[in-house]
Amino acid sequence: MFTKLHTPKGTRDYLPEEVERYRYIEKELRENFKLWGYQEVRSPTIEFVEALSTGVGSELVDTMFKFQDYDGKILALRAEMTAPVARIVTTRMTSTPEPIRLFYLSNVFRYSQSYVERGREFWQAGVELIGCNTSEADGEILSLLISSLRKVGLKEVRVDVGHASLLKDLLKATGLDEEKKGILQNLLAYRDETRLEKFMDQNNFPSEVREAFLQLSCCRRLDEVSSISLNSSEYEKANDHLRNLLEVEDILADYNIEDFVFFDFSLTRKIEYYTGMVFEASVPNLGLPLGGGGRYDDFIEKFAKLKLPATGFALEIEKCLQALTTQGFQIPEKTKTKILVSSKSRNAAIRAVNVLRDAGFVALLDITKNDEEKIMDYGKLAGMDYVVFVGSSLKKPATIYDVGSNISRNIGIETFLQSIGGQS
Amino acid sequence: MKRKIRIAIPNKGRLKQPSIQVLQRAGVNILEEERAYISKTSDPRFEAIFARAFDIPIYVHYGAVDLGITGHDLILEREADVHELLDLEFGKCQLVVAVPENSKINSINDVPAVARVATEYPNLSRKYFEGLGKQVEILGVRGTSELAPKLGLAQIIVDISSSGETLRKNNLEVIATILDSTCRLACNKIAYRTFENEINEFLGRLRQGGLK
Repeated sequence: MFTKLHTPKGTRDYLPEEVERYRYIEKELRENFKLWGYQEVRSPTIEFVEALSTGVGSELVDTMFKFQDYDGKILALRAEMTAPVARIVTTRMTSTPEPIRLFYLSNVFRYSQSYVERGREFWQAGVELIGCNTSEADGEILSLLISSLRKVGLKEVRVDVGHASLLKDLLKATGLDEEKKGILQNLLAYRDETRLEKFMDQNNFPSEVREAFLQLSCCRRLDEVSSISLNSSEYEKANDHLRNLLEVEDILADYNIEDFVFFDFSLTRKIEYYTGMVFEASVPNLGLPLGGGGRYDDFIEKFAKLKLPATGFALEIEKCLQALTTQGFQIPEKTKTKILVSSKSRNAAIRAVNVLRDAGFVALLDITKNDEEKIMDYGKLAGMDYVVFVGSSLKKPATIYDVGSNISRNIGIETFLQSIGGQS
Repeated sequence: MKRKIRIAIPNKGRLKQPSIQVLQRAGVNILEEERAYISKTSDPRFEAIFARAFDIPIYVHYGAVDLGITGHDLILEREADVHELLDLEFGKCQLVVAVPENSKINSINDVPAVARVATEYPNLSRKYFEGLGKQVEILGVRGTSELAPKLGLAQIIVDISSSGETLRKNNLEVIATILDSTCRLACNKIAYRTFENEINEFLGRLRQGGLK
């Protein structure tokens, strides 16, 4: 039966315990992004569909929730954050010196037409490094990605790197028509080497390109691409991309993380704007990637006549949480002592909670006016550590009920504070 | 120690026996009663999971299993983003558009503006007819879509056909082919990274002895 009290499909509520875990991940990520000099931005949840669709490709535009504004303009919920950040940079931060380092923690929305039910609201944490096209920028982004996931507490993190333009330029060099290029790209993504070879033979691939495709499919480390030789001048661009990957490998070695980064020629990120290195982060035993990103050097100029090369990544917070859970990670709980305060004298009770809060404890004021027994029951059920009944003045001894040991004793508030380690 | 590699196998239908045989020829024998959903195999690194062929793409996509034997048509229908490491070459079939022999529809161009299509493949059917600019109503049914035209439920069906016999028996004729399919060895993309050596070694055995 339809009831409005359900949330729409693909959306859900987050109860306190879960929000705590989300906040933990967000906090760790935010702190780490800031340590690397990235600054947080926010953008509106709704924007003009034209702004959100600039350069992202029709596939993503199809997944946007769109609706009409009162004046007839078409709006959409953001489906990703790179376009909003590009808009911000080109319209609001034109005098900011480059490179610009930005990050965000946002929810994004994607509508799925398929009957395959998937989530429609996701929380993402991401960074964009704008205005720099060096391999050092690529290295920084990979290194920031790995350090952030480790900071969250994830183990066995690995990042697999591909190259959007290397693939595009090699596909171009094959001289195949669009349909056959599509087939070839699928075979690469399938990692079906038998059929890949057959396909290349049937289509009379130049031996140099044939070798390159097969070797690239086998390369697992970035430095292994050094074995690929494409000599004729038509592969000049492809060679540049290979050099870029080798440079990145060197930089990763300086960061001491080269053992966690792998090459995966079959990796193709679905969003159209990528022009360079693309990558995905994962951990074993979680079947879906935690997030990913890549270089997008031609994207920002679609917003303004500004050639701004850029790179970045986005992590799905829910996936990080799932990964932590499968790895058995216990999120460090900040177990602050929780105290419920009740008194016949409201004035004394309010002064007591203030003293307790000042000392760094979680203090709740009883507002029910129930009898003592009911208040103690509530304290037990609501997870309090102590229930404190204060008299008409804080100077008088209070009755301290210790929920854990089920023992009550009469002591002054100061003594109580000292006994639980607070400074007054 | 690494956990076992899970491989999903169709639990019934025309893909089941050939799948088991392919594994046997690659040296992985299923040791337990098929009733069990999870079976040990003669290779201690692998365990077999019996599941519906239609669901296997989803299992693989989410990494609930590492490998799965299922049809290419089903991988596309379920929109599973997986590696298809090997074409196992059995389970050859086509996804076709069919109509009753006495229908006025003789080709895909004759499909009227208002038409109902019964199919077990709603996703691929919708994409196909949208690609042709045809606004048809897609009715998702489970099995026996051949029945739909007889009962007047739909004028058109989209279904798989291997020999064409079932269609002929039901006086249906093919007016278009949407895609050709065979059985594939699907692999979760992250599992491939985790178990690359084991999976490649298994692939080698499949290529050598597993395929006829």
